[in-house]
Amino acid sequence: MPTIKLVNITKKFGKGSLAVDKLNMEIKNGEFVSLLGPSGCGKTTTLRMIAGLETPTEGEIYFDDECVFSDEKGINLSPDKRNVGFLFQNYALWPHMTVYKNISFGLENMKWPKDKIDARVKEICKTMRIEEYMNRYPAELSGGQQQRVAIARTLAPNPKVLLMDEPLSNLDAKLRNDMRAELKRLHKTTDSTFVYVTHDQSEAMTLSTKVALIKLGILQQYCPPLELYGDPANIFCADFMGNPSMNFVNVKGVKDGDSLLLNNDHFNVRFTPNDPIELKDGDYVLGIRPEFVKITEEGIESRVISSLPSGMETTLSLGVGDVTLSAVAFGSVDFAMDSVEHFNFEGNKYVLFDKESEKNLSLGSLEIVE
Amino acid sequence: MKKRWNRIKTFFSKPYNILLIAFLIVLSFLVVIPLISIVRDTFIVHSAEKSRVHQAVGTFTTYHWKRLFGAQFSKSLLWDPLKHSIVTSAWACVVSILIGGSFAWLVSRSDMRWKKLLTKLFIFPYIMPSWTLGLAWKNFFKNIEITGSNGIFHSFTGITVPTWFAYGEFPIIIVTGMHYAPFAYILIGGILHNMDANLEEAAIILKTSRLRMFLRITIPIVMPAVLSTIILVFSGAMASFATPQFLGLPVRYYVLTTELYASINGTNPGVGYILAMIMILISVIIMFVNQRLIGNRKSYATVTGKSANISIFHLGIWRTPVSIVAFIVVMCMSVIPLVTFALESLLSYTGVYDFNNLTLSFWIGQAQGHDTWQSESGILRNAEVYRTLWNSLRLAFTCALGAGTLGFLAGYSIVRRRGSFLSQVVENLTFIPYLIPSMAFSAIYLSMFATKHGIIPSLYGSFAILALIGTIKYLPMASRSGVNSMLQLSPEIEEAGIIMGVPWLKRMTRIIIPIEKTTIVSGYLLPFISAMRELSLFVILVTANNRVLTTLLLFYDEKGYTQFSNAVNLLIIIVVLLINFTVEKLTGASIEKGVGG
Repeated sequence: MPTIKLVNITKKFGKGSLAVDKLNMEIKNGEFVSLLGPSGCGKTTTLRMIAGLETPTEGEIYFDDECVFSDEKGINLSPDKRNVGFLFQNYALWPHMTVYKNISFGLENMKWPKDKIDARVKEICKTMRIEEYMNRYPAELSGGQQQRVAIARTLAPNPKVLLMDEPLSNLDAKLRNDMRAELKRLHKTTDSTFVYVTHDQSEAMTLSTKVALIKLGILQQYCPPLELYGDPANIFCADFMGNPSMNFVNVKGVKDGDSLLLNNDHFNVRFTPNDPIELKDGDYVLGIRPEFVKITEEGIESRVISSLPSGMETTLSLGVGDVTLSAVAFGSVDFAMDSVEHFNFEGNKYVLFDKESEKNLSLGSLEIVE
Repeated sequence: MKKRWNRIKTFFSKPYNILLIAFLIVLSFLVVIPLISIVRDTFIVHSAEKSRVHQAVGTFTTYHWKRLFGAQFSKSLLWDPLKHSIVTSAWACVVSILIGGSFAWLVSRSDMRWKKLLTKLFIFPYIMPSWTLGLAWKNFFKNIEITGSNGIFHSFTGITVPTWFAYGEFPIIIVTGMHYAPFAYILIGGILHNMDANLEEAAIILKTSRLRMFLRITIPIVMPAVLSTIILVFSGAMASFATPQFLGLPVRYYVLTTELYASINGTNPGVGYILAMIMILISVIIMFVNQRLIGNRKSYATVTGKSANISIFHLGIWRTPVSIVAFIVVMCMSVIPLVTFALESLLSYTGVYDFNNLTLSFWIGQAQGHDTWQSESGILRNAEVYRTLWNSLRLAFTCALGAGTLGFLAGYSIVRRRGSFLSQVVENLTFIPYLIPSMAFSAIYLSMFATKHGIIPSLYGSFAILALIGTIKYLPMASRSGVNSMLQLSPEIEEAGIIMGVPWLKRMTRIIIPIEKTTIVSGYLLPFISAMRELSLFVILVTANNRVLTTLLLFYDEKGYTQFSNAVNLLIIIVVLLINFTVEKLTGASIEKGVGG
């Protein structure tokens, strides 16, 4: 069961365009890693390079201690020798073969004995709940069934590494939820390493043990999903994770002892970092998750611009002068449009970003200053 | 009563309904009545047959049927030509798929050299007239026993080519196969190109060997394209006239089309009409088989994956040899024929390939009077050539204008009323001319318009009959492309105009036509090119009055004026290629898009 290591992986397409830029990451044995990012960020390219379907321009890839690719040493192990499974976004089921044949085809290539193939195909079909479709052609199956056939085909040879390229993106919302649960269960039962490409932050959040957030071919942050959500490395990461997304307020900061007095034209707050850091006057961006904008009896006065109740919670858009903040009120509540509400801050999960570098400076607590 | 009147009024307030009704009436007359009239023609005495039937012209007779199916002549009139047609067409399919399919694979899946140049040249035979390769074959391999002079091959090698190689079945198969190879290339290449690369990658990941992947994944997936190629090539080869005429006639090797031509132009048109009916029957059967195959075909929809770069097969040490072989084959198909035409048109005495024997007389020389080696003036100072060239251009232009416009309007109205009975009937009517082999179609028109019918005067030998038949015959291509392009255009685009009160004509000229520009131009280009190089559709309708370039070529060839026929041939090819590339450059429309329509 290998650990996958990427060292300085770079991929250029054609002459100019850089798809992946000096990527370093280690995918440990048994992890469920999501490669996350907006479309065109190089996540699929990274996955295909791990599989060997794409050749990196520079860098090295290791499976445990075995080098499978190195531009310097001239090593490039072909995909069939890397012992990986690959699940394609559009499933890539062979249209002229039955479900049974689709699954057994790979096992035949590995010269399994006939009875073993038969047993394995039936077993995996049972696991994936597609037994009754074994003699159908892919065109006669629904999207969700095709998806399960594709997973069965990939899992049949027991790959220790399973690479998945947006496998759920062609399914409808309900099916996608079911399949998410199924994938998470599969990860536990197969005990293999999963690498999963997605552009859907909630998918990455809910499924993975670790998320690699990529922007324009550059790795932004690589950590467990809740850490990515709670302590984002920069404004891009903070903005990409969470729905409704984080509020960003442009503020001016003035040093006041161990804390910063932040002000914009409409309100003043005191930011106290959780761990002491070096503070100085300047421009900052304050990051506030909607769930940390608390509707209270008193505090900063705001106008309700919109109220979107979903039953479990209500998403609010609040206006303070020309600043708009999203807030979440829990429970079945609704607010009249243009009514006046107050809000306050609590806890210590507010993020201070440097205005210029957009980097996360510190987490801390907020306090309203009159 | 009032209600019904209102309903009729609403019906006709929609322009597409008016169009559909108009199409219904016109096409019934030009497509359905001919089909009926041909049956009648098999039972009456024609003027050419007076001396053999011994009955008054126009009276009922079963002579033709008895003659064609009677024991004495049926073998030579019917069964042999039928057998020849089927054998040559079937083998032509094999040849075209072998050449076109392997070329398609080399281009889309291997690292063959000079791909760009080779693909451009490979399409040439498709743009060039169908007899081009046949004539070139003759120039190259003709032998002294049959034609009285030897070909280029003999003069270079001193070997006299055996007759079976130079004429008849074998060269017809090879030449027809090569002519249709671009079809196979475009269809199979299209699938290979669009085939989801993930399908092959999935196989590689599952440790499939290259060979096994090719046999078990790639080949089965291109199979539907192979089937449609077979259908297209087979029906095309069945209907082709020029190649068997040029290569079969010298050794009295007849196929259905040449037999039909001989009958209708000879002393027994009645038999020709029966042959025409048989040919229609065959193409209906082919269409039926085709539909059955499409119906049963599993959906091989090729979703294009994200992986842009398909796995390229590295030919390794074979790269250069394979590229050279491909280059030679492509040269033989597209460039060498042109060279032979030029060469043959420059020879004072045919069969003598000597530098001193070259002359420009057949291009620019003066006529020397009868019974001399040059009885007519060179084609560039020959008024007759200019007249036929002008006639050809005029005809091609008229056919393109007619078929293109009608096809676009038919496409528009068919799509707008899709699902209704009326639209279905019209769609089928526009497609019928495709089923009728050219030769049979013109045989019908000949019988229909040879004499005066009510207000329609006799059109035999007129420009109008050529324009009419060309327009109708090419209507299926144009209306196919019209339907396809309109299907891709959502009706909302036009409805947005309706809501704002834009009148129909303005909606067409300002909204629909600008959007569909490229496809519409293709819809005109295809009939134009087809009409420029058409022989079998016009050949029996042409007299000295309305002669076109292609029939002039045949005329020279039949007379044995090799230099003239080669020169005229070159002229046609140059005109066709020139127009094709000009239009392609100017509009981005391309003739390749029309394949299969």
